[in-house]
Amino acid sequence: MIEVTDLETCFSTGFIRRRVVRAVDGVSFRIEEGETLGLVGESGCGKTTLGRSILRLVEPDRGRIVVDGTDVTALSRSELRCFRPRMQMIFQDAYTSLNPRMRVRESVAEPLKIHRMGSRTDIDRRVRELIEEVGLNEEHLNRRPYELSGGQNQRVVLARVLALKPRFLVADEPTSALDVSVQAQILNLIRDLGHDYRMTCLYISHDLGVTRAMSSRVAVMLEGRIVEIGRTADVLDRPSHPYTRRLVDASLTGPCASLERLPLPAAPTTVEVRSGHWVEETV
Amino acid sequence: MHKKIVLAASLGIVFAYCAVALLAPVIAPYDPHAITGAPLSPPDRDHLLGTNDLAQDIFSGLIWGTRATLLLGFVGAAIAVTVGTAAGIVSGYYGGLIDEAVMRLLDVAMTIPIFPLLLILTTFFRPGIYLIAVLMGLLGSFQGVRLIRSQVLSLAVADFVVGTRALGAGDGYIMARHILPGVLPLAGVKFVTSAQHFMLIGIGLGFLGITDPSVVDWGQMINRASQNGAMILGLWWWLIPPGLAVTLISLALAWLGYACEDEINPRLRVMRV
Repeated sequence: MIEVTDLETCFSTGFIRRRVVRAVDGVSFRIEEGETLGLVGESGCGKTTLGRSILRLVEPDRGRIVVDGTDVTALSRSELRCFRPRMQMIFQDAYTSLNPRMRVRESVAEPLKIHRMGSRTDIDRRVRELIEEVGLNEEHLNRRPYELSGGQNQRVVLARVLALKPRFLVADEPTSALDVSVQAQILNLIRDLGHDYRMTCLYISHDLGVTRAMSSRVAVMLEGRIVEIGRTADVLDRPSHPYTRRLVDASLTGPCASLERLPLPAAPTTVEVRSGHWVEETV
Repeated sequence: MHKKIVLAASLGIVFAYCAVALLAPVIAPYDPHAITGAPLSPPDRDHLLGTNDLAQDIFSGLIWGTRATLLLGFVGAAIAVTVGTAAGIVSGYYGGLIDEAVMRLLDVAMTIPIFPLLLILTTFFRPGIYLIAVLMGLLGSFQGVRLIRSQVLSLAVADFVVGTRALGAGDGYIMARHILPGVLPLAGVKFVTSAQHFMLIGIGLGFLGITDPSVVDWGQMINRASQNGAMILGLWWWLIPPGLAVTLISLALAWLGYACEDEINPRLRVMRV
């Protein structure tokens, strides 16, 4: 179970005239054991930063993250390193997620070697198991990323991540760089493996169709805040926040909705419109 | 000229110089310090390039001088590249305050001209040739830091580095296994270009007569020749050979550097027509 409370991550730029951008601005939610929460929102709304903050790949400034009963925000650097296998991340671009100089075999074996999980022969056997699990075969182990397609690379990334048997997976638009037919294969693979490994998942996407297929609940993010969260059908079929409505409209009719920014309240409050369906009040 | 030919020719020249340096005692007919006949004699069968004013064999001096030049160049470059790469990786990978501190320090350090500083240091301390090489390496590592750091900056935020950190890898592991291999080609080019640079600086120091006097080097040979009127007296065999030797190795290294740079960064090709 994942519980995020009041998470805040800021970036500051400039040396003399310091400007602070609050990429994640007081976000709270929970994901139940084995559940997949979809996270949608426009580019630059803070989805990726939120995902990275939860894994402390970007240090959050404030807030609490509890993963499987462990307060991740309270861990020291070395404790965090030991805890990392439990929570993993896959990225948007499979090509850049793999070191171009390493063969698939080395990339998949790397997590096992870092955590000294077994002898050489054990690791070798586990690597072969993993590569078959993600639908590739031994022959691919000797290739390098540029010799594989985008879909195959994403499978390798998945194998590399699954090597550690994570309990929690952040998937940051893992299929947005793939074409539609491959996209479906990878989505099915992630869903099936997520089920087999009993993973809790945060699925970040800007594609509402994909989100609908992947997640049981959805959170809508706008300017660093979650403005609406609830069961997928509730949020996407009966959106309550004007921004969600706009997103849903745009996904149906194409990008034509009005582009002016929504006025957002300075001190937002959320109300429960249906059981488990929370919406931020608008001005 | 064809790229492959340039690469092969420059590599050939560099290897030939290395061979000569290693085999100096075998190739050189005389001890370069020994008095071997009449002073200022022109080339003949005994003295391929004649003798200097102290009746030392110039050909032997030329052969032994290869050692000093290559040593200064390669040892200096090795130190410069090692220090520069290490500092560049640490600075670029950690970023933040560490990076800021290193960069501001470099801003100051880079305003110090290397050659005059070396002149002062060697004049005061009269160090041996190895110490001069180390000094050169340390002083010459500054630009390398910038070069490597800029590459590391983009590598450090690459998905595969972030992903490896998410796997639970330590910083040292990531820098050694994922960052270093990415900057090695660049470091290699830097090694070649700094070697050339340091060889020329070494020759310059020798020419000014402030290097290790116990070591034969081409700079000192040229210095001695020009001081004693080789030019006016028309003693070409005294002045020209060390000059040519320097020119050739320096050209070879420059070509080698460009060829390698071309190989790893094809975008530069257009700029160097």
